[in-house]
Amino acid sequence: MSVTTRYPERTRPAPITVSQIGIAILSLLTFTGVMAGIWRLIVGLGEGTALSNAYPWGVWIGFDFTLIAFSGSAFTMASVVYLLQRAEYRPVMVPAVLAGLLGYAAVLFFLFLDLGRWDRFHHFILYWNVHSPLFEICWCVLLYTTVLFLENSPLVLERFGLEKPVELIHRYVIPISVAGLTLSSLHQSTLGTLYLNMPHRLHPLWYSPLLSLLFFLSSVMAGLSLAMIAYVAAGRIWREAVNSELLGGLARGVAGVTLLYVSLKLGDIVQAGELSALLAFDRMSWLMGAELGLGAVLPALLFLIPAVRRSRRGQVSGAILVLFGVLMNRFNATLFAQTTPSGETYSPNSIEWLSAMGIVAGAVLAWYLAIRYLIEPEDAAHAVAHH
Amino acid sequence: MSKKAERQLSRRDFLRGVGALTGALTLESVTGSRVEASETEVAPDAVGVLIDLTRCTGCRTCEAACKAAHGFPPPDGGETSLSADTLTYVDVRENVEGADGPLHVKRQCMHCVHPACASACTVGALHKTPEGPVTYNAGKCIGCRYCQYACPFGVPAFQWEETLGLIAKCDFCINRLEEGQQPACVSDCPTGALKFGKRRALLREAAARMDTHPDRYLNHVYGEHEAGGTSMLYLSPARFEDLGFPELGSQPIPRRAEFVMKQTPMVALTVATAASGLCWLRTRREESGACVEAGKKERTKR
Repeated sequence: MSVTTRYPERTRPAPITVSQIGIAILSLLTFTGVMAGIWRLIVGLGEGTALSNAYPWGVWIGFDFTLIAFSGSAFTMASVVYLLQRAEYRPVMVPAVLAGLLGYAAVLFFLFLDLGRWDRFHHFILYWNVHSPLFEICWCVLLYTTVLFLENSPLVLERFGLEKPVELIHRYVIPISVAGLTLSSLHQSTLGTLYLNMPHRLHPLWYSPLLSLLFFLSSVMAGLSLAMIAYVAAGRIWREAVNSELLGGLARGVAGVTLLYVSLKLGDIVQAGELSALLAFDRMSWLMGAELGLGAVLPALLFLIPAVRRSRRGQVSGAILVLFGVLMNRFNATLFAQTTPSGETYSPNSIEWLSAMGIVAGAVLAWYLAIRYLIEPEDAAHAVAHH
Repeated sequence: MSKKAERQLSRRDFLRGVGALTGALTLESVTGSRVEASETEVAPDAVGVLIDLTRCTGCRTCEAACKAAHGFPPPDGGETSLSADTLTYVDVRENVEGADGPLHVKRQCMHCVHPACASACTVGALHKTPEGPVTYNAGKCIGCRYCQYACPFGVPAFQWEETLGLIAKCDFCINRLEEGQQPACVSDCPTGALKFGKRRALLREAAARMDTHPDRYLNHVYGEHEAGGTSMLYLSPARFEDLGFPELGSQPIPRRAEFVMKQTPMVALTVATAASGLCWLRTRREESGACVEAGKKERTKR
């Protein structure tokens, strides 16, 4: 197989300063985030945030929904490798499934900060409301985080030479992946269903009976794109060559799903008679234009070009555009496309920003350290070579 | 290096995998959009309050009565919004077309026939009683605030000042109702602007008032059909949209989401079956034994 060897001398010491600066910044952000989070828990939501009765959800929920979509990297890649039986994608899957676990862990921290009664975090287990999208999301996130723990646990167990449990997990890897895919398609789509209860608040360019399906498809787009970015980043950390063909294959997948998403979304806008709103060139029209045009149409078209799919720059920029589009979509739905009768506005305060940055930085730092110290680069390389 | 390793993930593979899910979810989404307009079914004995804006003088006795009944400190001056310790207030509307002077609009929970707040509530802390009131169990609430988004009237308020905040909203004075009393606001209203009774009887009463004084009232009872109907019914001389009432269809807000949520077991079963089937088919094609073989290969590799 032709592999582009970016770092021919594997023994060359890493440029320590750059990674050290990175670790220092991420650690500092995590630390200030923890402090900000503790402050919020002490003073309550009124003083700790800029939220109000007109805007009860803020930037934390925006990050929650974005992170859940991005963490789709885990179920998409596990499905590619174990359900579609494309074992050659295993080197992409390992960093992607790890990113998924840390993404969901971050979501749990966000939810904890956001709940008025965080001391009752477990109440959804005791008190059921099957009509509630949030109830279903809580259960799926709980169960799916368990799946992600199982999928990632061999990384740690093998370090301690615990062969028995590792063998058990490998034996049931297919049912575990089926469970992961099922739980993911449920709650990724239910995040869209959640908005069906807000026809009076969500702008008609975003409100749609197809919300459930659109949220699921965009989580596949974002998941595969994040898997691409994570693979490239892991390659740099490992000082290992990255298999460009795998990235090209994923780019094709992203193009296909994104085109399906765009055609459904555009068809829905036309069918709902909202085309004039899309072309009004007002605030809402620009917001939708940015997320759909820059974040979906452009990368889908780019990824249809073979030369773009082959070039590292093309692969990375396309994936980043998709991630930007899905991030915009989730923030638009939670914040910018929400209308209030009173015309009140919301702008997050420093506690919200610091804690949000801290949680995200903590997840990135944990991912970096795990990739660097927990996973042998040979594992990934062997997975390509010996299959 | 085997040929297999060089093979790219083709578009067909993706469509095969995603196609099954997409099918299941499309069915879920599209059928969800075709929910029929609801026929409002209200328990015959359900109670309500008729709020006649032509009879309200804006004395705000209801505000004080409500605060006293719920143990909140008495109001200092007029309230201007619902909040954690203001479950009702009188909204003063100046220069409204069709009214001689300012109109005073009492705001509180509408106690919907099909409350979106109760449908949305993660832990079922909000509950529609067959008698009419939408009650709130503070012992279950986790403070997620989804109800604030689901309510089309912007009613549920959060205790922003508390370290461990909960939701607050009008409870229809359910404790007083159980003792055979009327809600505090209705009891204390000195002008007869508020009338408590069976919802059906109140609708007849509203029709009679509009018939007797067609010059005084708009021919519209707000809450009779809005969002599937509400327990609070308003009579007004001016158009409701000029008074800050949302224009809602007769469709109950939570119908659409509830329909999709009902498909959850079907979607789960479809996805799990399709995924297992797909895996089995692909393994068979590659003649590498049963699905579980993948796990064994995995291990020898590491």
